Amino acid sequence: MDVEIDVTAREHVPRWLAYAIPVTTIVAALTVSSLALVALGVDPLAAYSTMFVDTLTSEFGVVQVLEKATPLILTGLAVYIPLQAGLGNIGAEGQLLFGALAGTWVGLNVALPGALLVPLMFVVAAAAGALWAFVPAILRAHWNINEIITTLLFTFIAQNVRNYLLSGPMQGETANFPQTALLSAAATVPNISDTGIHAGILVAVAAVVLAYVALSRSRFGFEVTFVGSNPDAATYAGIDKRHVYVLVLIVGGALAGLAGISDISGVQGRFQNSYSPGYGFTAIVIALLGRNSALQVFVAALFFGVLFVGGTSMEVLMGVPAALVDVIQALVILFLITAEFFKRYRVGVRLERDPIRATVENGGVGE
Amino acid sequence: MSFLSTLLDAAIQAGTVFVFAALGETISERAGVLNLGVEGMMLVGALSGFATTVVTGSYWLGFGAGILAGVLLSFVHAVLCITLKSNQEISGVMITLLGTGLTTFFGQAWVSSSINGFPEMTLPFVGQSLVRIPLVGEALFHSTATDFLAMLLAPVCWYFLFRTNIGLELTAVGEDPETADTMGVDVFRMRYLAVLIGGGFAGAAGAHLSLAYAQLWTTSITAGRGWIAVALVIFAQWRPIRVLLGAYLFGLLDALQLRSQALTLTLDPSAPLAGVLNPVLSFLLDPTIMATYPYIVTIAVLAFTVIRSDDGTLAVPSALQQSYSREMD
Repeated sequence: MDVEIDVTAREHVPRWLAYAIPVTTIVAALTVSSLALVALGVDPLAAYSTMFVDTLTSEFGVVQVLEKATPLILTGLAVYIPLQAGLGNIGAEGQLLFGALAGTWVGLNVALPGALLVPLMFVVAAAAGALWAFVPAILRAHWNINEIITTLLFTFIAQNVRNYLLSGPMQGETANFPQTALLSAAATVPNISDTGIHAGILVAVAAVVLAYVALSRSRFGFEVTFVGSNPDAATYAGIDKRHVYVLVLIVGGALAGLAGISDISGVQGRFQNSYSPGYGFTAIVIALLGRNSALQVFVAALFFGVLFVGGTSMEVLMGVPAALVDVIQALVILFLITAEFFKRYRVGVRLERDPIRATVENGGVGE
Repeated sequence: MSFLSTLLDAAIQAGTVFVFAALGETISERAGVLNLGVEGMMLVGALSGFATTVVTGSYWLGFGAGILAGVLLSFVHAVLCITLKSNQEISGVMITLLGTGLTTFFGQAWVSSSINGFPEMTLPFVGQSLVRIPLVGEALFHSTATDFLAMLLAPVCWYFLFRTNIGLELTAVGEDPETADTMGVDVFRMRYLAVLIGGGFAGAAGAHLSLAYAQLWTTSITAGRGWIAVALVIFAQWRPIRVLLGAYLFGLLDALQLRSQALTLTLDPSAPLAGVLNPVLSFLLDPTIMATYPYIVTIAVLAFTVIRSDDGTLAVPSALQQSYSREMD
């Protein structure tokens, strides 16, 4: 008997696999992380039950998950949309910071009633986020300069711009800390009736729906996915690749800017120097987990929202370091890159028995 | 020492990180494998080097541990990109996220530890007289052992890539893997070798950072230096000696920013345009604004190099980012 493994390239990714990969990845990551829990002397089932079941069955938990998920959904899309065109926007964190800084500035310095001020803050944050992605977009579109490197370098620039603004021009007058003054009530995103959930989640959901429709139903979406799957063929078909590249990156930047301002205005209340949430980096994992559709991005972002909130309550209740979430995230990443392979290749394991005996058992010669 | 020679000295010390990381990236890319995981490999190298030094008290053991950690993480990248033929960009970015996550988690325990790292010394045997050379003597011949090692590595890498059989086979694999395969070169083995060397160099860069340059561990100690190194390789057109010079240029930038923390430069209020220029000057010399310069210059230099060679003179290895398989698919 012979074990034969053959690896063949797939021409199409089967539909079931597109759903099985993210699910398997997460289950595998949670399973391996349970070893760390066992090592800490904690019952993994109890820990995961605290993390997921308790979080999702309490009202407070659900509110917190949605609050966390809002910027994750928006930054997830900020990475996902350029990824559809084959670009890696790994600098969503910088676009988030710069957008949030600009939006916060408007909130602190413009006197308008809340019904106008909050939308203005969102628009300015989106524009600033888009601006932060613009130079990498132009460099990529016209000279093929790797956007992964440039968007990330722009993140480091944004972090220092934040340090400069919060310890100088934008520093709150009453405090000696590097932070802005508190945003006024008019500059705060209102809650949805009396749910305790700020309205930023509506922006995020609207963005998911818009992205889904735009990518799967519009001419723009067709051009984006065409360029993403085969840039040369797209160019031959008359699509201006450069135009698509610039557009997807500034749309991504705008979404990241929205993520930043909704979090500052809806949750934080002021911009503190220590604010560097890392949403833009988790967004890369979210976008890769959900890269088959905007709806999957939405689900993946919710999952990470639960993970972050549940991780904190696990720390409080069971003494498990919340950094376990970092380990789970790292493992998700590791399994995700391995899954890349199974997506592109079909692995067949065949048990090949002795050919003569097989023929005999099949009823002899003559077939 | 004069201001200028102090600055050169600081430039060499700050540049060593880039020398290690960018030389490793050069070797990996010369074989056709882009490694965007350098930043993560540097972080892992920095932390394991630091922790090993704290525990054993030996910075040489720490340096070795840093290299080993870089090699181990690059092995993951190699398996994914070479054997499993994953997208090299995605794999690299994921490796960086992985390295950042792991070192944030495990690094917490080491943040307040202190070590006796690599001491500065005069280069043995010949250093005593050479160190008296004006301007550059101190910078080149009085430094840490890792600084000397980095200077030595650039010509060694050049010799390896362009004057040895194995080096030439390695570059052939990065240019035209099919032909190299036909000529009997084991493409897969060669690419593994290149990626693992690159990972070891990245680990060395990280270990140098925590053991010789900063002599401490903080979360995200690399602060984007790995990404600057990736850009530096393009700027240096994949040539080791140019990598060395470019690395010291970026080191100079790093050093300038550190040395001029207290620098104030103002025009006499009566000078023409002083009212306009003085606020501009104080903005440009603000330490937080100066901290952005290395990144801005990296982007500018990258753009300049690529745009100037828009006519196709950019010496990028032809098979860079192309996975190789023997059967047609």
